Amino acid sequence: MTELFRWLSFIVCVIFLPLLTIGTIRKTKARLQNRIGPPLLQPLFDLTKLYRKGETISDTMSGVFRLTSVTVMADVMILAWLIPWLCFKPWAPEADIFMVIYLFAFARMFTLLAALDAGSAFGAFSASREATLSLLVEPAILLALVALGVFSQSSDLRVIFSLSPHQTFVSSGIWIASGMAIVFSSLVELSRMPVDDPTTHLELTMVHEAMILEASGRNLALIEFAQSLKMSIFFGLATQCFLRALPEFSLIGTYFQAALNIGGIFILAIFVGLLESLTVKLQWRKVPEFVAYILSMSLMAALIAVGSRVIK
Amino acid sequence: MNISATELSILTSASLACLIVGSLHLRVNLWLYALSTLFISLATGLTARQYSDTNLFYVAVLIVIIKAVCIPKFFSWTIDKLHVQRDLGAMVTPPLAMHATMLLFALSFVLTREIPSHAGSGNGWLGAAGGISLVFTGLILMLTRRLAISQILGFLVIENGIYVFALTQTRGMPLIVEMGILLDVLVGVMVSGLLLFKIQKSFEHIDVGQLTELKD
Repeated sequence: MTELFRWLSFIVCVIFLPLLTIGTIRKTKARLQNRIGPPLLQPLFDLTKLYRKGETISDTMSGVFRLTSVTVMADVMILAWLIPWLCFKPWAPEADIFMVIYLFAFARMFTLLAALDAGSAFGAFSASREATLSLLVEPAILLALVALGVFSQSSDLRVIFSLSPHQTFVSSGIWIASGMAIVFSSLVELSRMPVDDPTTHLELTMVHEAMILEASGRNLALIEFAQSLKMSIFFGLATQCFLRALPEFSLIGTYFQAALNIGGIFILAIFVGLLESLTVKLQWRKVPEFVAYILSMSLMAALIAVGSRVIK
Repeated sequence: MNISATELSILTSASLACLIVGSLHLRVNLWLYALSTLFISLATGLTARQYSDTNLFYVAVLIVIIKAVCIPKFFSWTIDKLHVQRDLGAMVTPPLAMHATMLLFALSFVLTREIPSHAGSGNGWLGAAGGISLVFTGLILMLTRRLAISQILGFLVIENGIYVFALTQTRGMPLIVEMGILLDVLVGVMVSGLLLFKIQKSFEHIDVGQLTELKD
């Protein structure tokens, strides 16, 4: 593939994959409730509708609120460029694990500030919950990525996710455990079902949805799109982990790899849709326990990685 | 580091046993125990094929029948009769206990590293590490549970660990010894099942933490 073609396909994916991922989740949930459900591109129609709508802003808000949606969007776009979540990504500079983690945290900090800036009681509630969640899930996701880093002796995501022809049971184990940890911690990070129900409209229990209650019009469209792009980045990263666990993955053709990658993102979206239809929301007190289970997967990956380095 | 299929199935079995510690649902525990035992019998079968030992092959079949089918069936029948669904847990929450189990799993690799491998069996210490880790897992299981039925499950996991250790270090024991052990385990489980009914009848619960309270 030429560099230009890579850029073109990357831009198309960044625009359409997030919308299709959200669409797939909604469609799966609708089919499980015996409804036909909205078309797959409904999120796109929603966004265009939001774009045409006017915006209402409270007089007490400062500039932080207006700055938030743009900052979050830009931050997530940079992450989409840096993180190897697609095989056919164009050239990108070095992406250190810790920088990536804290770029995610940076976006979250701005969302929290905007929720507090709006001055509504629900915003402050949800901001405190989001801060707790991020505090809980950060060790899990960090440990999963660091385990991969230890295994490939680098903290650069490009090196970690470079295709190596050496496949052993040990490396497959690390990839699968880390991939599982990334999938489940993304559910916490994106405040989706077992932790928070994104479709409920009870402000007292919402996490992410309550933080963006005050946003409207184009502001809301940007925030929603950034959130769905973040979701596809996480799913793409997890798919990359799972694909590297397959034997001989590095030997198959580039186009087939890309097809497997995109297919994997949709399979994860269907899985999340199933999870959201079949499980109930966890009690808030039970969330740390759920995160501890995720942490045990990362711990497993880390132990195997360190063990395979120490014991030859 | 290359792993043989036998060692891989032993390590899979040890990881499945780690998961038992993570759940308080008795039925999930039984399923995981049965799966873990199936992998142990797979390891036995693979060892039997490696040394073309017919007796060891019979042991593998017996393990499937007695430890992976009969004992879980008997326990699920007991659970139905006693009307208990989940353990209450003691001292630490299950995920934290699972973290401790995983760290002990790692520790067992360090402990068994120096075991000399006997001729023709490759690096036998990986399987031994699985066996030691199963013993640790059973110990943690017995420490962090309150129902008598989970304590018996912990004992069974320890028994699995000892069997695996013997299998990897001595290519298994003679058939007659193995049959004796399996019979002992089966009878032990049956007797402890009867005891469970007895405890339930006289105390109206099977919580070992409250057995010291006197009743008239």
